[in-house]
Order: sequence, then structure tokens, then C-alpha cells
Amino acid sequence: MFDAQNCRRLTHRAAASHGLCLAAVAGAAVAIATVVTNGFAAPADRPLVVAVASVPDPTIMSLKEKYRRPAAIPFPKDNPYTATKVDLGKKLFFDTRLSAANVLSCASCHNPAYSWGDGQPRGIGHGMKPLGRRSPSIVNAAYGEIFMWDGRAASLEEQALGPIKTDVEMNLPIDQLIERLKGIPEYGPLFQAAFPREGIAPGAIAKAIATYERTVVSGRAPFDAWINGDEKAISDSAKNGFALFNTKARCTACHSGWNFTDDSFHDIGLRDEDIGRGKFLPDVPKMQHAFKTPGLREVARRGPYMHDGSVPTLKAVVDLYDQGGVDRPSRSEDIKPLKLTDQEKMDLVSFLNTLTSDMGPTTIPILPR
Amino acid sequence: MKAIIAALAAGCICGGVLAAFAAEQTVTQKGKAFSQTAMTIKKGDTLVFQNDDDVVHNVMSSVPGSEFNLGAQQPGSKVSQAFSKSGEISVICAIHPRMKLTLTVVD
Repeated sequence: MFDAQNCRRLTHRAAASHGLCLAAVAGAAVAIATVVTNGFAAPADRPLVVAVASVPDPTIMSLKEKYRRPAAIPFPKDNPYTATKVDLGKKLFFDTRLSAANVLSCASCHNPAYSWGDGQPRGIGHGMKPLGRRSPSIVNAAYGEIFMWDGRAASLEEQALGPIKTDVEMNLPIDQLIERLKGIPEYGPLFQAAFPREGIAPGAIAKAIATYERTVVSGRAPFDAWINGDEKAISDSAKNGFALFNTKARCTACHSGWNFTDDSFHDIGLRDEDIGRGKFLPDVPKMQHAFKTPGLREVARRGPYMHDGSVPTLKAVVDLYDQGGVDRPSRSEDIKPLKLTDQEKMDLVSFLNTLTSDMGPTTIPILPR
Repeated sequence: MKAIIAALAAGCICGGVLAAFAAEQTVTQKGKAFSQTAMTIKKGDTLVFQNDDDVVHNVMSSVPGSEFNLGAQQPGSKVSQAFSKSGEISVICAIHPRMKLTLTVVD
């Protein structure tokens, strides 16, 4: 049904489930369900090839439009892009000398080989001790509104120095960092080129790292090719999964837009003592156990999942949402048992897998000496 | 004693004059967005934030020197904040950070 140009097929299972969603969803999602259910009322467990008229469907087109990639990376007015900043920022990002023990860099927890996370349930900090939460990927951080799982950093610039000086992470006080960088001769000209008025200073370090991080953007995934009209780019199962994602599974209540996040905070019902955003908003009941919605780009290679790394696979993620999590006052109103069938769960996972691109290798910079 | 009374009276008069000049403006929150993305007010003015959404909001700013946090704001309610310091203040909803209002407070 999602191929308006060519005749494609959709299973009765998906058609039936979309029909069930008619009363529960709004806007474009309803439009999908309406389209999909036209004339389909067959048994729910038997696949059927459905012929679709070759007429462009404006509702599908408008829904796809919500997921179209932006044309450019946004850079803030007070820290605009320059090539010299990116060059310096990349070197700082990969430099282990930004940690007290000279063994951890930003890339230790945000490793390009793991889609810019670390592949571990929890980050590993100073002295090889585990941290409290999973290392989030920095992919598409340029598009973020607020940073860290609990939103305690208002900008990438503010975030950049945090892990360096935090004792359980890289454990290097900023004044010591400045002295250390000043003692590395080849850093001087790089700072001079990027920040001629500031030189080697905390603000310059933060701006350089933030600028480099903004250049780490997810690649074009099969989903993007489908959005752009290539109907063969993703499977029919994935197309069904996309429909479910927008309707019965209610994923777009939080994972909205091209980067699949609303940049807001929700308690999804994970059984965990960590109160997340609630630490900063103690009088807001819904913010207890609430964490920032992560984007889903490159998600197939970003496991394990959730702020505590407690969910090992995408299949397990879908199972968790299907069950609805812990019922408590802070749990989001959007989280409730979904009653997904096994096929629907598989379709959702198929769809999620289409969000991962071939980002290709990242070159490691030669560091200043 | 007379001097104290005179001073108190003068204070009341001045306060009344200042209050007369302090303005109040309303910003609504609907569709997880502020009704304005940028606005300019005078020092001493008050902003009333009205929640016309069906979800809880939490208006706040973490700009050094102008920090405030109006706490959980239920749908249909109003909260207000006076601004006594000039400068540019970035106001957000702490729950929905895409809600942004750049406030310029002038002397």
C-alpha cells in the first residue's frame, strides 16, 4: 500500500491492525490507516497480495515529508562552523591526554566503531570503574535541543567539558587540562588558527569539540531512499513496521521527526532506581524516572539500549514497549500495553533496521606532540 | 519619626509610580510551543505564562544571574515571573526543551 507508484503488497495482518488504530491516533497516522484498510477485511493471520492503484497518495507523501532529512547541519550563531575548529575539535576528541590518566578520550565512550557509543551497558570511567548510565551516541547531536540523558547540559559546548572534569569520568580539572595542552607545542598553532583571540582556553576547547561533534551526522539509510521514492529500498515488512510505528505501536508519541526524537523527557516504565530528569525537577511527578528520548538513527548498531543498557536487542526493546513497563505515577501516558502480534513485532524491528546507514570508516587524527 | 514617616510615604509613592509603569504580558503555551519565540520587555515587567495545552509544562531559565523555575504547571493554569535584570534570557520548558522563548529585558 505504501508504494503508490507501483503495485505493492501488504499483509492482512498489518491492514487489520491499522484498522484497529483508527480511533486511537490522529492526523496523518489516521490517514494511513484509512488508506490501508480500504477494502481489506480478511482473516488477520493470512498474508495477501494487495494490488494498489498507481495514484500518488497525498497522505503517505505528507507523512513521509515529516521524516525527510534536513538539508544542512545547524551551527549556533555564537559558535559558527569553521574548518579549523573542526580540525582542532577532532584532535581534542580523540586525544587521551584530556584525561587524568592519559587513557580516556571522548572517543573512548563515543567510539565511531560502535556508531559513536561504546557498545557497553554502562560507560567506563576513571580507573576503569563503571558509570551510572549508558554512553549515548553523539550521532546527530547537532540537532539536539538539550544534552545528557537527564538534560543537565543546555548546549553541546556546555556538555563538552563536563566529562573531562568529572572525577568519575576523565577526572582532569580544567586548569590542569589547560596547562597540559599548553605543554604540547603543536596544539598552540591549531588553537591560534581556530581561536586567534582566545588561544588555549576552556571556552575554545568546548567550542572546538562541539563543532566537531556537530559534523557527526547519520548517513543516508535505506529508509531515506524509500522516503525519496525508491520503493525497493526497504522490505514490505519494514513498510508495515513503519505503519505500525506511526499507529498502533504509538512510537511517534516520542520518536518523532527525521531524527526520531522529540528531545523531551519521558518515563517509559523501566524498572530502575535512577530518577533521571526528576533530580532537577523534583516537583514534577511525570519527570521522575524520565529520560531524554534518544534518536533512532543508526539504531541497529547502537545497542544495548535504554539509559541503563538493560535491553540487549531491538527485539527486546519492542517486547518491552509491548508489555508497557512498570505502572507508576510517573510513567508516560503514552506507555501502555500494545498487544502486538509476533508478526507486528518483527515488522517493527524490520523497520527500525532500515534507519541504519553505512556510515563508513572514520579516520583517526594524527595527534599534536 | 516624621522623617521615617516621610521616607515610608515617599517609598510608597515611588513604588506606586514604578508599579504603574511595570507592564504585564501573557505568553501562551499550546501545541508544545510558546506563542512567541522572541520578545522584548522592560526591566520590572512581568510575564504571565498560560498553559493552554493538555500536558504539564515547566517554564524555566538557567541563564546565570537570571535563573528561575516556575515548576510544574498544570493544563489550564497560569504562572507569572517578574524580570528585574536586563539582558537576554533563554526561556524553555524543562519537560519539552524544543519550546524556546528568547526574552530581551531592556532598561
